[in-house]
This record gives sequence, C-alpha cells and structure tokens, in this order.
Amino acid sequence: VLSSCWKRKQWYQRRVRGTKETELQKHIERVKCVDWAPNTNRISTCAGDRNAYVWNLNAETGVWEPSLVLLRIERAATYIRWSPAEDRFAVGSGARLLSVCFYDNEHDWWVSKHIKKPIRSTILCVDWHPSNHILAIGSCDFKCRIFSAALKETNDKPEISGWMPKLSKFSALLAEYETQGWVHSVKFSPSGDRLAWAAHDASINIVHMDSKDSVIRSLTPSLPLLSIIWASEGSVVCAGHDNYPSLYNINGDTLSAGTRLDVKEKKAGGGMSAMARFQQLDRTGADTKDSTLGTTHQNAIVELRVTATGGDGTCTQFSSVGMDGKMVLWNLDALASSIADLKI
Amino acid sequence: VGRDQTVISSGINAEYGVDVDAYDEEAYEDEARVQDDSGVAEVTERASKVKDLLSQMKTKEALVEALKSPPVGRDQTVKSQNYDTVMWVLKSFKGSDIDAAVADLSMVEVDILMKYLYKGFSCSPDKAANLLLWHEKVVAKGGLGSIVRVMVDRKGV
Repeated sequence: VLSSCWKRKQWYQRRVRGTKETELQKHIERVKCVDWAPNTNRISTCAGDRNAYVWNLNAETGVWEPSLVLLRIERAATYIRWSPAEDRFAVGSGARLLSVCFYDNEHDWWVSKHIKKPIRSTILCVDWHPSNHILAIGSCDFKCRIFSAALKETNDKPEISGWMPKLSKFSALLAEYETQGWVHSVKFSPSGDRLAWAAHDASINIVHMDSKDSVIRSLTPSLPLLSIIWASEGSVVCAGHDNYPSLYNINGDTLSAGTRLDVKEKKAGGGMSAMARFQQLDRTGADTKDSTLGTTHQNAIVELRVTATGGDGTCTQFSSVGMDGKMVLWNLDALASSIADLKI
Repeated sequence: VGRDQTVISSGINAEYGVDVDAYDEEAYEDEARVQDDSGVAEVTERASKVKDLLSQMKTKEALVEALKSPPVGRDQTVKSQNYDTVMWVLKSFKGSDIDAAVADLSMVEVDILMKYLYKGFSCSPDKAANLLLWHEKVVAKGGLGSIVRVMVDRKGV
C-alpha cells in the first residue's frame, strides 16, 4: 500500500495499482510532505498550516486517527521524515528551523525541540543517519549541514563515529557544505558513511565521513536534480527537471557520467499517409499529433523513494512521483539487464 | 551585469536616502558576494600571457589561460579587464577550431566560459554572432546544466 500526497488540503492513501483507499482530512492548508513509518505503522504529515499530524491506525475501526504535533513554528512546514528507529521525526520549515519531534509519554503528545542556528533560510530536505541521532539538512541558504540530534529526553546514548568525532549535544553543527544553489535533496548512504546532496546548480555532491573536506562534486549537464536516492553504497539515482531518473556511480573520487534509466522504445511504424499528413497540417498547423515528451514522466520528477531492497541492502525497486501527477515504479534489476553498461 | 551594484532602494526610500534593509536585524549577508579572487596584477599578467600565446597561434592554450581564476569580487575594472582578455581570445578562433578547444575543457572551465559568454551577450551585443557560435559548442559539451549554473551564480564575472 502506498500513500500519496496531494497539493490540496487532504491527502490520499492508495493501493498499488490505483484505487484510492482512504482520504485523510485534517490539514487546512496544502499538505507539503508525507512520511510513513513502516515498522510502527504511523504516518506523519506536515502542511502549510504550520502543523504536523501523526496518524495512528485504529486497529478496530480501521480509521486513521490524527494527533497534533506542537511544532511551534510561524511559517509553513516543508518536509517531514521519520528517523530509522521511528521514535522521532524531523520537520523542516520555512521558519528557518528544524523541529525534532518525539513523544512525551507523561503528557501524551508529541513535542518538539528546535535546531535553529546557523540555518538562514527555508529548509527543503532532511535525512536521518542510520544511527538515529544524526541528521542532514538541505536548505535555501545554499548549504547542506549535518547536525547532532541526540536527545536527553529519549535517553540517547550517542557514540563517536566518523560524523561525530567527539560527543556533541543536540543541535551541534557537525559539518557544513556550500553549493551555488538551493539544496533540493540530501541522503545518507545505506551504511551512513556517505552523504549525497543535489543542488539547484545542477550538481551532485558526495562526501565520505572519513574525508569530510573533500567533496566529490559532479557538475551535471542536465537540468537541476530534485531528488536523490542511494541505489547501493557506491551509486546514486537522481531525477529532477529533466523528467527521467539517471544512475551515477562513484569511481574513487569522481562520479561517472549518469546513465539514463528511462529508455523508451520508439513507436514502430504507423506513419500517416501523405493525405492525412496534409489534412493534419491544414487543421492544426503541425504535421504530427504527438505532443508528448519522450520520457515516462511528462513533467519534473519531484521525489524518488526506495520501495524494495535486495538481500545486501541495494535498492531493487524505487518509485518516482512527478509534477505530471504520475507515480512510476522502476525495477532496477530489470533495467540493469536491458541497459548496456549499467552498473549498480 | 546588474548584480555588482548595491541597490539602495527605490521609491520612497530613495527619496529619503535611507537604506531600510541595513537596519534589519535578521538581514542576510550573502557571503558569496564579498569574496575577491584575482587582483589587478594577476589579471594584467594573464593578459600578457594570453597575448604571447595568441601571437604564437596557440589558441587552445590561450583559452585555458584566459579562463583561469576569473575575478568575481566587486572590483569592476579588474573584471572588465579580464573580460576583454577573454573576448579577445574568443575572437581569435577560427570557427572550425572551436570544437576541438571546447572538447578539452574541464567542466569547471566550461562553466567559466559560459559565464563570459552570457556577459558578452549583455555587454557586447555587437559580438553576438561569434558568441552564439561559441554558445552552441559549449552547450553541446556542458549541457543545459552549464547554463543553469550561470543563472544561479551569485558571484558574477
């Protein structure tokens, strides 16, 4: 079962292959982002009404019940993500701060702690590190930052790692990277050792925690990428304004040229007769009727999500949603065999 | 282009001569716009190196030299001097040699060249024909991404 977010006031839950199952209405402004925590089966949504809700499925009635999260922000919430352990989630907002929300058992509600300095503009994307207490933020002030989100309240015991060489408390800045454009998407690799982010200057940047100062920067020839996911520890899939996903491999300290994953077969034969062509030309001023683009998505791809992983943690299937309203599932295994030279 | 000028403000504030935004506590100082890369000496030296290379008909090397660390700070004279150097190199190429020269450039150099091309479009419309020829070749190498990088660049050349 998949959920999809609508840029209206409610959002929908759908089964794979299309039928709408439930409509969850609570927000009074556009729903900006949705995230589903698979293990605890909770859905969190955030919207332009400066609120976020956590939805719990009532086992008896089968109804999703919302519970309000106190974000204490004065601008719209833009992004929401559950942490790997699903005991907390992060909400980015236009208020230039990140709210890390956790459940307060005593009062039976979700409370938030803010990470504010030194973020100077709207937060566009957030990703959690597998350790559950480190997160990365991409924002409109052209920077990608890594913070510690270790909470005393949930009895976190952070350990020293590559990203956090000495124990840091909540909201301590661990690393900061600059790009020329808004940072649209940021993702930790499956092991958490690497961080990748895509910015509006049509670049893909990757950094390894052991060499934090050397960023692998790929200036792509495509239009800016809006979403990036890790297909394996050494390769990323990204998509954006070019309407197709492409795969990039990390070779040492460079990034390979992207392999386009959307390979459409040209329509075979079926040409029009000369008479039909001229009639068409006379009627519409163009001699072919087809105005669709040569890509599966007809508009920018907004988000990529890993939907299935193989035994070793590599992604075998991912989904893409675009501004054309389509959701497409891509099978990496099938693509690997049909596209020559595709290495994952 | 227009980025290098600090606009005081328009309308009523211009009449009072007060820059209201300067008093804003949460004002965002764009760090990128404060840096300065090449000084006058470096740019002049580069101009003479390029002149030497061009006189020896080494147009490819001249191009690479001209595109090295462009001045991106606020000093207009330095920037226009470097701009003149780059334009001169671009003019010295025969149409048929452009492909080979662009093919050898790195992506960073392609981006710098693209920035100068767009500056050329706006500052020297008389050179447009030659610049458009260059533009076509550079897009073939750098793609639309290189044009995007010109537009999001906050440090103008």
